[in-house]
Amino acid sequence: MATPLETRQRRIFGLFVALPLLVYLALFIGPTVYSIYAGFTNWDGIDPPRWRGTRNYTRLVSDPQFITSFGNTLLILFGVGVAVFVLSFSFMLILRDMRGKGFVRGVIFMPHIVSPIVLAIFWGFLLRHDGLLNAAIVKMGGQPVAWIGPKSAFLMIMVALVWTSTGFYVAILMAGVDRIPKYFYEDAELAGASAWQRLRHVTLPLSWDVVGVAAVLWTISSIKIFEFIYAFGAAGGYMPPDYEWNTAVFVYGVTVGGANPLNRFGYASASAVLMLFLVTALVALLRRAMRREAVQF
Amino acid sequence: MTQIRPIRAGGTAAVWLFVGFCLFAFAFMILSSFKDSTQILNSPWSLPSTLDFANWARAWDSAGFGTAAINTVVLVVSASVVVVGISAPAAYALSRRRTRVANGLTMLFVLGLGIPLQVIVLPLYQVLAEIGLIDSLFGLFLVYVATQLPFTVFLLTGFFRSLPSELEEAAALDGLTAGGTFFRIMLPLAKGGLVTALLLTAISLWNETLLGLMFIQDTEKYTLSLALIGFIQQQQYNGADYGALFAGVSITILPMLVLYAWLGRRITEGLTEGVGK
Repeated sequence: MATPLETRQRRIFGLFVALPLLVYLALFIGPTVYSIYAGFTNWDGIDPPRWRGTRNYTRLVSDPQFITSFGNTLLILFGVGVAVFVLSFSFMLILRDMRGKGFVRGVIFMPHIVSPIVLAIFWGFLLRHDGLLNAAIVKMGGQPVAWIGPKSAFLMIMVALVWTSTGFYVAILMAGVDRIPKYFYEDAELAGASAWQRLRHVTLPLSWDVVGVAAVLWTISSIKIFEFIYAFGAAGGYMPPDYEWNTAVFVYGVTVGGANPLNRFGYASASAVLMLFLVTALVALLRRAMRREAVQF
Repeated sequence: MTQIRPIRAGGTAAVWLFVGFCLFAFAFMILSSFKDSTQILNSPWSLPSTLDFANWARAWDSAGFGTAAINTVVLVVSASVVVVGISAPAAYALSRRRTRVANGLTMLFVLGLGIPLQVIVLPLYQVLAEIGLIDSLFGLFLVYVATQLPFTVFLLTGFFRSLPSELEEAAALDGLTAGGTFFRIMLPLAKGGLVTALLLTAISLWNETLLGLMFIQDTEKYTLSLALIGFIQQQQYNGADYGALFAGVSITILPMLVLYAWLGRRITEGLTEGVGK
C-alpha cells in the first residue's frame, strides 16, 4: 500500500524527468549509439554513411598516425597517471599535519579551474627557445636547451599534465582521508605504532575506496584530454605535429581540424569507439580490483 | 619517528616548491599583461615598469576579447541556469523514487560521465548541420546543456538523497501537492546544493574548448577559449603581440580566480565530495 507521499511523487515523476531525459537522449545517448554505427561506415559528415564493415578498424591498427596517438594516450593514462598518483598521495600525507594546509590545497587546485588553453600558453612560454627557463639558464651562464623538440615535446606535455592534474587529486584524496576518525591514529600511537605502521595499517586501508574513485576519475578524464595538447602544439591554423597527438586530437585532426580538413567522420568514429571500449574495460577492471569488504567508520 | 623526519622535511620543501610554481605561473601571466612584447621576450622575469592598461584595451577591442567575453558570459550564464533548472526537478524525482525505472534512469545519466566527448561530437556535428545550427551560439548552448546534464543530475541526485524526507511526509499529510512540496519546501532546502551545481557548471563551461572549436567558425561568435586559440594562430602572420595575448589570458582567467577566491571551499568540496561518494 503506497503512502500518500509515494502516490504524489509517482504522479510528478514523469513530468520532472521528461525534459532533461529527452535532451540527454537526443544529444548525448543518441549520438553515442550513432557513433558506434558510424564506426562501421564510410562517412564524410555530409552525405549519408555507407556501410563498410570492419574496414575502419583494420585500417586503424595499421595507421602509423593512429598508433602514435594511441601510444600517447596510453602514456598519459599510465605514465602521467602513476606520477600524479604518487605525487598526490605523498602530498596528501605531508599535508595532513602541515601548517598552512588549507592554503596549499587551495593554491595547487588553481590549475583545475582555469582553461587548459591558458595553461598551455604559459607552458609554451616557459619552454620555448627564448622562454622563461632558458632565460634563467642563460643568465646563470648556461646554454639554452631545446625543450620542445620531436623527441622531448610529448614528455614536456606529460610533465605539464602532472603539474595541472595533481592539485585536483590531492583535494580528492584529502577529502577521503579527512573522514578517517582521529581516534584510529591515537589508538595506533598508544599501541606503539610507528609513523610507517600508522600509514600501512590505518591510512592506506581506510583510504582505499577514495583511491579507487580517483583511479576511475583519472581513467575517464585522461582519455578526454585534448585542449592542452591542441593549444600547446597547434600553430598557423595547422594541427600539432604528429608526435604530439593523442586519440582525442586524432578524432579532431582527421575530421574538421587543421588547414585542410580530412572529413573522415566514419574513420574518426571508429577510433573514438575504440577509446570508449578501452575506458569501459578499464573502469570495469578497476572496480573489480578495488572491490573488497567496505570498512565501516 | 626519527627516520621519518628528513623525508618529511624534504617532502614539505617539495610541496612549497610546487605551490611556488603555481603562484609564479599565475603571477607571470597577469603581470605580463602590463608589459610590451619586447619586454616580455627580452626580460621575461622582470616586473612591469608601469600599470598600463593599453594591452588590455587592444585585447578587448581589436583582438576581439571583448566580444568573446560577452559571448562567453551570455552562453555560460544561460546554459548553467537552464542545466541546473531542468536537472533539479529530475534529480529530486530520481532521488525519491526507488523503483527499477528510477534506478535505471539514474544509471543512464551516470553512464554519460564515462563517455568521452570525442564519441559524440561527430554525430552532433551532423545533427546541428541538419537543423542549421552549426556556427550558431544557440546550437552551442544546446550542446552545452546536453553535455553538462550527466554531471549535474549526478551531483544533485546525491544532494537530494542527503536531505531528510520527514518534511515531505508532513507536507503530503497537510495536503500540499508533490509539485508544491518540491518548489516550496525542497528547493529552498536545496539552495546550497543548487548554488554549488551552478558554480561547477559555470566553471566547466567557461573553460570549454572542444565543442566550441567543432561548432563555431565565425570570429564574431568566438568564446574566450576560441579567441585565445585564434589569437595564437594569427600571430604567425601578424607578428606577435604578446602583451595583448596575456591581457586576453588575464581576461579569461581573472573571473575564475575571483570566483575561486570568493567561493573556493564550496567549489573544491562540491567537486571532491560529490565525486568521492
